[in-house]
Amino acid sequence: MEIAYRLTRPLRMDVRLRVSGLTALLGPSGSGKTTLLKALAGLIPAAGRPFGGLPPEKRRIGYLPQGYALVPHLTALENVELALPEGGGDAPGLLEQVGLAGHAGRYPAELSGGQQQRVALARALARQPRLLLLDEPTSALDAISRDAALDLLESLSRRLNLPVLIVTHDPYVASRCNHVGVLENGVIAQAGDPEEVFQRPATVSIARMVGFSNVFSGRVVESGENGVVLEVGDHRLRVETPARPPLGQRVTWGIRPEEVMVVRGDRPLPAGLRANVLRVRVARMQKRGAGYCFRLSGPLELAMLLPRHVQDRLRLAEAASIEVVLKPRYIHLFSDSD
Amino acid sequence: MTQAFLLSFKLAALTALVLLALGVPLAYWLAFHDFRGRRLLEALLLLPLTLPPTVLGFYLLVLLAPDGALGRLGLRWAFTFPGIWLGSVIFSLPFALTAYKEAFRAIDPEVLDVVRTLGVGRVKRWRRVILPWVWPGLLSGTLLAFAHTLGEFGVVLLVGGNIPGETRVASIYIFDLVQSLDFASAHRAAAVFVALAFAMIYAVRSLEERWRSPTG
Repeated sequence: MEIAYRLTRPLRMDVRLRVSGLTALLGPSGSGKTTLLKALAGLIPAAGRPFGGLPPEKRRIGYLPQGYALVPHLTALENVELALPEGGGDAPGLLEQVGLAGHAGRYPAELSGGQQQRVALARALARQPRLLLLDEPTSALDAISRDAALDLLESLSRRLNLPVLIVTHDPYVASRCNHVGVLENGVIAQAGDPEEVFQRPATVSIARMVGFSNVFSGRVVESGENGVVLEVGDHRLRVETPARPPLGQRVTWGIRPEEVMVVRGDRPLPAGLRANVLRVRVARMQKRGAGYCFRLSGPLELAMLLPRHVQDRLRLAEAASIEVVLKPRYIHLFSDSD
Repeated sequence: MTQAFLLSFKLAALTALVLLALGVPLAYWLAFHDFRGRRLLEALLLLPLTLPPTVLGFYLLVLLAPDGALGRLGLRWAFTFPGIWLGSVIFSLPFALTAYKEAFRAIDPEVLDVVRTLGVGRVKRWRRVILPWVWPGLLSGTLLAFAHTLGEFGVVLLVGGNIPGETRVASIYIFDLVQSLDFASAHRAAAVFVALAFAMIYAVRSLEERWRSPTG
């Protein structure tokens, strides 16, 4: 489904986005993601396709706000029945679809956040929506429920052939979607495959949003067949890129922390990579999830993420002096050089 | 005594009914809509809270007299039951309105928004969502207004005077008894008031408790 919405209040926005399967709308807080969902649901005046001009009651849309908005004095079953025509529809069946058949008689206050969300989902499905809108569906969930929620959405979307638009600021959620659009300054600044957007963010701010914490500037000193050479401080880094910036141009470049690699003494590097090796000191080490996050200081202040099995072998400690390599194909040039 | 109390009940019940019919839509509107002049309107509606009852009664008497502004429009209600009814509605409106508005404010507006997106029409929204959510607040506000009207004295005396069966309500009846030094009868009537007042305030408190419980 293609959506095209334009609004002026409370924010100026002009959004065009294809919603297919699970689609993430990624954006920093305050970028108007929630506003866009409300406009799509008909709760804020806006012009656009589909559903433009219709009141909320007439739009075949399922809208789940952050707090789920269940009616507190109705049970889970009654909440679902609310969206069905009197005496029609199969509310118990809908609750079963979201795995809550055993909780039909509970009031929202007696359910966990994840369960409330699934009741809200069953209720939204009762309307037989043509588009499902979810506002930060994972922000109140722990890591396990977050994955479970995304699994459920994925299977519902596939089974019902229902486009789902998920508003989020969490790159992980976006990475699990089929399609992602990045909202910035009221427009979709980049859209595409999550992989594409994550590997090749169009702008520095999108890069930051999707986890590029290493962003630097440099000057183009050579330009060739396979890429360019950047002068960064005293170093000259080779970069593989299809872009052909003019010589002397200042550019912004970056590398993901998980793509910074430690050079091991027992594995000599190919000669062509020597230029991209930096000698750095481990300034800080922090456990993060199933891996480690390192702050490296040296010619560049770098963040590096290592999976646990790598750190178990390398046994890096704080204050250690090491060599890291920024491989030419992992270095990304941003188109907006600021 | 029975006649005076029956008249008081009739007055309080009719006042409460009008307040329910007028006050609920008004409170809903004030709770969910913002508009220019809203504070001014609210101040006007709440004015009887701070206005001395005799002042309100005095103006109503002047307006409802045969040659008053309203009297000339046909509302010659001075010293009649409709006159004290109108006075009681105006005087008790702030109590009912405040309680109703609090009840509506307890509704999460986002829930109403989302219920609309579920395709639920206005009638069903009121029946299934809004009224079940607010009824304890509406009932407690109405009871408060009822109790307040039962005990009303100043407005009723000024607008209605002291006509048995027409405007002599229980509170004025007691005043009458005391003036004629019939303390035994005054005691009996006063005791009835104490019992009534306690029963009503107890009911209001119970409703407030229920209103605050999460599953309503």
